[in-house]
Amino acid sequence: MVIPAPRRVNVQPPVISELSDKRLLIVTGKGGVGKTTLSAALALQSAREGNKTLVCEVNAKERVTGLLGKAEVGPEVTSIEDNLWAVNLRPAEAMREYALMVLRFESIYSAVFENRLVRYFLRFIPSLQELVLLGKILFHLKEKKPDGTFRFDRIVVDAPATGHAITFLSVPQVILDTVPPGALATDATWMRDLLVDPKVTALVLVSLPEELPVNETLELHDALKARVRLTPQLVVLNGYIPRRFGPAELAAGLADEVREVARAHEVRADLSEASRVRLLTLGLPVLLVPRLFLPAFGRGAVEEVATCFAKERAAP
Amino acid sequence: MTSPLRKALEGSSVLVTVGSGGVGKTTVAATLALRAAMEGKGSLVVTIDPAKRLANSLGLSALGNTEARIPDATFAAAGLGPQAPMHAMMLDMKRTWDELIERRAPPDKREKILNTRFYQALSTALAGSQEYVAMEKLCELRAERDYPLVVLDTPPTAHALDFLDAPSRILDFLDNDAAKWLLTPALAAGKVGLRLFNLGGSYVAKTIARFTGTETLQQLADFMLNISGLNEGFRERAHETRALLEAPTTSFVLVTGPMPERLDEAIFFHTLLAQNKLNVAAIVVNRVHSPVPDALWPQVARLPQELLRKFEKTLKENEHLATQDARGIARLREACAPTPLVLVPRFERDVHDLRMLWETSRYLWGDARLQTDEAAG
Repeated sequence: MVIPAPRRVNVQPPVISELSDKRLLIVTGKGGVGKTTLSAALALQSAREGNKTLVCEVNAKERVTGLLGKAEVGPEVTSIEDNLWAVNLRPAEAMREYALMVLRFESIYSAVFENRLVRYFLRFIPSLQELVLLGKILFHLKEKKPDGTFRFDRIVVDAPATGHAITFLSVPQVILDTVPPGALATDATWMRDLLVDPKVTALVLVSLPEELPVNETLELHDALKARVRLTPQLVVLNGYIPRRFGPAELAAGLADEVREVARAHEVRADLSEASRVRLLTLGLPVLLVPRLFLPAFGRGAVEEVATCFAKERAAP
Repeated sequence: MTSPLRKALEGSSVLVTVGSGGVGKTTVAATLALRAAMEGKGSLVVTIDPAKRLANSLGLSALGNTEARIPDATFAAAGLGPQAPMHAMMLDMKRTWDELIERRAPPDKREKILNTRFYQALSTALAGSQEYVAMEKLCELRAERDYPLVVLDTPPTAHALDFLDAPSRILDFLDNDAAKWLLTPALAAGKVGLRLFNLGGSYVAKTIARFTGTETLQQLADFMLNISGLNEGFRERAHETRALLEAPTTSFVLVTGPMPERLDEAIFFHTLLAQNKLNVAAIVVNRVHSPVPDALWPQVARLPQELLRKFEKTLKENEHLATQDARGIARLREACAPTPLVLVPRFERDVHDLRMLWETSRYLWGDARLQTDEAAG
């Protein structure tokens, strides 16, 4: 259980140790488990520690900036607060940037890539769209300022949900398997190497305290390991409900409908605990983020969750 | 009041459940098929990727791409006695695609198509290809079998449009003007990718080759040439699919959860279905939290202090969830009027056996209703 820590002014605890030395944090899990909220919280916590942090959404309906109480930023990397940048990657813009990087000249891009025939071709190249999206993320990971330091200390990716995440993250390998040598294959190689490097990249799996989401998390973990050679570092169990009523309290002379309230709560708490125990079989630390009961799901919720990512409070 | 789903089930031969992933779409599909069988209408539920335990309880564990009848003993064990047979099948995407090619392609082209890397991409990775084969299978089942009701559970889509667009998108992919321009002279000359190689020396082709390597262009031309004979079949099927989806005997059931981000998607999806003039029988809102009965508060107030604090906290949390859901449901009702809403409560455990499907069906059928629903309706 995560115990609320006393609030300290200007001294932020570091992002939990499993993630603290990683530069690329990829957050994934089943749809609807809270990936976006957790990505926003992780990025916020990272930025507050003084790390220049970029948070990326991938071809999604933009939500991170809204959760942080900021205006939408779209496909341009935009500073949204101290040490924090956001971007919502879109394939068309990423494709254009990538093509320009290879071709160097805008005029060539327009002549070639805006050609209908060429557009048609590009649709045929398997996974090209995912590759340019991933390519843009990894480009920013390598990007340096004129003084030789990295532009971003850390990038947090709100990755697509389960099935799409596997497709997305295995794209460099798929390209390598499909496309003969060329510029595309060369890029796919360095991308894959960076993704599977455990010194650089950490994968965070998000789950919910229910049977099916936990099953899916266990399956996703195995699939990522086997198919993408990515090893997850941390599991986040979101919406954890701690036990509240003791057996003696339930036994006391309560009216049936009152006892039912307590019993239903304990059933949910048991399910939370059972989920935690099952997730622990992965051999990874499981961070518990308690279920929040807030009137609106926005900045306040993200702040609350961000405190869960403090170093000393990762569950053993 | 007659439940909108009861009406749809009686009047339809095809029901399609749609919605984003993780909202219980498969459960609703299986529930509808079960209810049909119980009421005496033989049914088949076609699912894409059911949770393991639901699959097991439907007897789907050992099955490939074919329908299986759910044994009487399985029903009996759940205390149910259906009046008509219920079948279930799990759709294997890759296999359905392969069968499609095997059925449609001339014998000398089959192997060539099945073995190219572009085919692998088309059948597995191309956006919309899952949706396409689901539609393909539906048409095949309608044409070749005689189930009074087929319930199709659509793949969890990242993009709502994929499912509606799939047939025309695949067609466009294989048979658009650009492809024709590239291939027509080659077809006429009986040579592979003639135009492509006329293009080979050109500025455009050289530029593309810088990305993909020249070999890719050659392989692509081969693939296009081999598959081009199938386009006529694809086009026909796309029209058939469209006609089937628009038929008065086909109804859509939109499934959603009550949380805000799911509702936005559901509203968006509903708009799309309406724009496409498809019949939406109902929106099923799954896993709704029930409100706290008023009578509980004074009862709790009499408890000793420590217990009172715990109960009040619990009731407040429950009330919070119920209020949030009710607010969302009101918004959904307004945005999607006049499409009726059917509310299913959050059960304590996941629904994955026939008994729980039956329990769920009581809400879909209108035998049982949630308090939230009564207040609003």
